[in-house]
Amino acid sequence: MKKTLMAAGLASMLSTTAMAENIGVSMALFDDNFLTVLRNGIQEMADGMDGVDVQIEDAQNDVARQLDQINNFVASGVDAIIVNPVDTSATQAMTDAAAAAGVPLVFVNRQPVNVDTLPDNQAFVASNEIESGTLETFEICKMLRAQGLGGGAKAYVMMGELSNQAAVQRTKDVEDILGIDMCNFIEVIDQQTANWSREQANSLMTNWLSSGEEFHAVIANNDEMALGAIQAMKAAGIDMADVVVGGVDATQDALAAMQAGDLDVTVFQNAAGQGSGALNAAIALANGEDVEQKVYIPFELVTPANIADYLSAN
Amino acid sequence: MVDKLSHGIGGLTYDKTKRAWPNEANVFIALILIILAFEALGQILPYMNGQSMLFDFNTSRDGTIMNIARIKIIILQVAIIGIIALGVTQVIISGGIDLSSGPLVGATAMIVMSFAQTELVNGQLNPKAVFGAWSFDLPVIVPIMVGLVFGAFIGGINGFLIAFTRIPPFIATLGMFLICRGISQWWTKGQPVSFPTDAFAAIGSGMMPVVWFAMLAILLGLIMKFTVYGKHTYAIGSNEDAARMSGINVRRHKILVYMIASMFAAFAAIVLSSKNLTAQAGMGQFYELYAIAMAVIGGVSLKGGRGSMIGTVLGAMVFGVIQSGFTFIKLDAFYQLMAMGAIIIGAVVLDQYRQQRATAG
Repeated sequence: MKKTLMAAGLASMLSTTAMAENIGVSMALFDDNFLTVLRNGIQEMADGMDGVDVQIEDAQNDVARQLDQINNFVASGVDAIIVNPVDTSATQAMTDAAAAAGVPLVFVNRQPVNVDTLPDNQAFVASNEIESGTLETFEICKMLRAQGLGGGAKAYVMMGELSNQAAVQRTKDVEDILGIDMCNFIEVIDQQTANWSREQANSLMTNWLSSGEEFHAVIANNDEMALGAIQAMKAAGIDMADVVVGGVDATQDALAAMQAGDLDVTVFQNAAGQGSGALNAAIALANGEDVEQKVYIPFELVTPANIADYLSAN
Repeated sequence: MVDKLSHGIGGLTYDKTKRAWPNEANVFIALILIILAFEALGQILPYMNGQSMLFDFNTSRDGTIMNIARIKIIILQVAIIGIIALGVTQVIISGGIDLSSGPLVGATAMIVMSFAQTELVNGQLNPKAVFGAWSFDLPVIVPIMVGLVFGAFIGGINGFLIAFTRIPPFIATLGMFLICRGISQWWTKGQPVSFPTDAFAAIGSGMMPVVWFAMLAILLGLIMKFTVYGKHTYAIGSNEDAARMSGINVRRHKILVYMIASMFAAFAAIVLSSKNLTAQAGMGQFYELYAIAMAVIGGVSLKGGRGSMIGTVLGAMVFGVIQSGFTFIKLDAFYQLMAMGAIIIGAVVLDQYRQQRATAG
């Protein structure tokens, strides 16, 4: 594997002209929908620029493989590296490897643990994860209030993979919002993981429904799980007008469900914006320019009221 | 000498005093015990207010004293992996193993869904279109056939490698595991494929996954019990050399076994993508391991030559009961995997112990 990568790195070095900027990109994993949009954001922007070549590798969710890729990028003499970290607590070694070789490094999407001590030629581009779950839950809280449930409402919470930082943060956001005076009328019946998956969320929701307990909202850490919950509720004959369902990501599938009146809330994270922002930062650093070390691309709330603005966004 | 002859029927000596009931009865008893354990927890745990898992005496909900909704989901949530487990069961009986089924589900789902897309979504052009206009609203038989042919192709390669290059099935299907995951990511460069036609969506809607699971279990169960194909599979798994010397074309048979297993996995992918109305490159993660675990819990021996489709169906039910039971008692998500792992190990340890007692002496 290493040899193949080195060969690939070598080949890309030989084939490019001396003027071009070579940017190595290591993505945490390729088969994640959101990261794919981000990756395409990098690729498309690079394709549209003269003299910028990107080489994108898949770390396959493996911390060790990712560090190998970074070292291989350094060895093949890239001008800058973009890393979408597999594990946000394993980033110090990556920072050290790039810093030792003097190669600029940009972390994208996932906040590295050493974000406050990054060297001058390293940066971090992402959205602030605290916003997503907060926007989602607060909007659900407002919708339930508007339905006259301010005296008491019940909700189920679907968590993403338990080891994932975004899942942990978004679940904490839910708890935080339900703790404030305006929203503490919402009681969580149960919270379980469905591992970001529509299929698992469908099963989980059906299991919850089999208990026959009354509920008013489903708060999911992402859209895929919200869609699985919707499919389960529809199969059980529940009128989707009676339940408030929220997710995060604003995927095409989610937006279609929102147009059909099934999904009530989602949150748009500008993946392509993060990708192009990271590439901009990497190019600027490679040219020796100063950049902001923390670039935040804001999350945006999507509801049936403003869905038209997002239909072609992700 | 009589003992030696019995090797052809599974390597076990038949002794009426020790084998008073079939293997499957043990799995069934384990299933009942697990259900009783959850029912007991429902009574004991203070926050459960004496709820029952399978009974619901508030008959106004569905007119029966059973909790029909929960019984349905117990089976529904394991039906799709169960279909894979059926195919894997006959591979394990033949003395092999198939690790490629999970990623094959992902790859097949991506490919199949690309041929099952509808043109208009909420009145607009399908935003997830993979191919051009020709691929919209094709007859439902097209994606099904594409999926099954792809499955047969992958399974054929698995079988060919195992039969002719003699590499261990573990390695051959591990390689195919990576190849299939690669295919599923490469197909649309990681983008999900969504919005199928209504006809395609009907394949996996409602309780249809259970219907397919039941039909395929009966079909394959009968084949394994009453046909030459089934008898040859058991024979190869029990003693491959003996099977070859008694005139069975072992190589050809192995290719068939792996082909059928992969076609079952491909069909599971069709049902899965239809049920979820989407295909994603990461679909089917860990399905191969759950399928193998279902078979093993159902009494299928990893040494080959022993096991049955009824056992695997019961093994799948054990999984379904555990999964629903965890949600029923609201077990904290952080403990669920640990508990499930412990139950799998416990079930197989008990089975081994029983086997040793049955064959001892």
